Amino acid sequence: MGATLLETLRGELGLSGTKIACGEGHCGACTVLLDGVPVLSCITLVHTVGEREVTTIEGLREHPLVRSFVRADALQCGFCTPGQIVSAAALVGAVPEPSREEIRHHMAGNICRCGAYPRIEEAILTWRD
Amino acid sequence: MELSRPSTVDEAVAALGNGAVALAGGTELVPLLRDGLVRADRVVHLADAVPRGIDGTRIGAGTTLAELEVDPQIPSALREACRLAASPQLRSMGTIGGNLLQATRCWYWRLEFPCRLHGGDRCHAAEGVHREHAFFASDFCASAHPSDPAAALVALGGMLRTDRRELPVAELYRLPTEDDRSTTTLAPGELILELDVPAPEASVYLKAMDRRRWSFPIVGVAVARAADGVRIALAGAAPIPWAIASEADLDGATPLPGTAYKLDVARALVRRALAEV
Repeated sequence: MGATLLETLRGELGLSGTKIACGEGHCGACTVLLDGVPVLSCITLVHTVGEREVTTIEGLREHPLVRSFVRADALQCGFCTPGQIVSAAALVGAVPEPSREEIRHHMAGNICRCGAYPRIEEAILTWRD
Repeated sequence: MELSRPSTVDEAVAALGNGAVALAGGTELVPLLRDGLVRADRVVHLADAVPRGIDGTRIGAGTTLAELEVDPQIPSALREACRLAASPQLRSMGTIGGNLLQATRCWYWRLEFPCRLHGGDRCHAAEGVHREHAFFASDFCASAHPSDPAAALVALGGMLRTDRRELPVAELYRLPTEDDRSTTTLAPGELILELDVPAPEASVYLKAMDRRRWSFPIVGVAVARAADGVRIALAGAAPIPWAIASEADLDGATPLPGTAYKLDVARALVRRALAEV
């Protein structure tokens, strides 16, 4: 099979912020944005990306969500966090004041093995504080 | 492996076959390629060849589930089926055409047991662990069809246009048999191009899942009421989307020991859905 977007980001470009966990499109650790839309880089063939802009966690260094995740202590091991922040960035970009229900619906594709969900929700609710 | 990106339907159809497979959103095909369940020398990316977008009752097969779930032109059963079908990332990637053609989640099939769908002579699920499997039409293969949108489209009386014919969505599917193990009627290299979904008077999709947020259906129930009556279709019930005429048809189910509970779930959801339309 051809290279995936994830393999190219981590291996060819040295952008190791995007994580590989399940590798089959279930867990969301590998989430990146293509033209602002969250997708799973582990099951995206890199040659299908074309002209679309790729945003990884490295491109969100200055995003207020990074600080709000720290403030809310929204992680334990931190492995899912890049994917969580990438998905959350797309959400707050489209809906600046999401409700808890909107957060739960929109973040359902990012699984946290440590179970930090309540604090992830808190971090997104308070991202502009 | 070689990837091509044809810009017309004719070029795409010509490129298929001879070890080439069609790629749309990739959420199904890429994991199957990686696991060796689909083998291909060439992948034909359909993004520029297959229509995408919604125009009244017509839906391009390349339209994503995320686009369908928010469009007010789409009947509510199909919107809800798309909304509940998968995670946000998968819904942003996956197309409606690809969703209709997804393979079963049967773990024996996914682990390449030599089961009937793989050309073998046993259904390992019927003999083994099958709590997520079928409770209708399970005697040859006990797999359960995973597509929520397919059940919604069968209930809504949706039509499909391929590069060579038009057919009701229900006729896209066939039960696998000894002579032909396929679960669809699609010819090799045939491409789904467009759907036409008539507006119902009312429609609803209800889904029971193992967890509150996205997962494959234990049972999905689509009900649509149109001028000519009410149609009901089930996901997660049989090896293909399963139409029933009334709640009483559930009495004819043939559950396995491990799927008897699904029949109770189906009965409750069918009652609730009928009350809602």
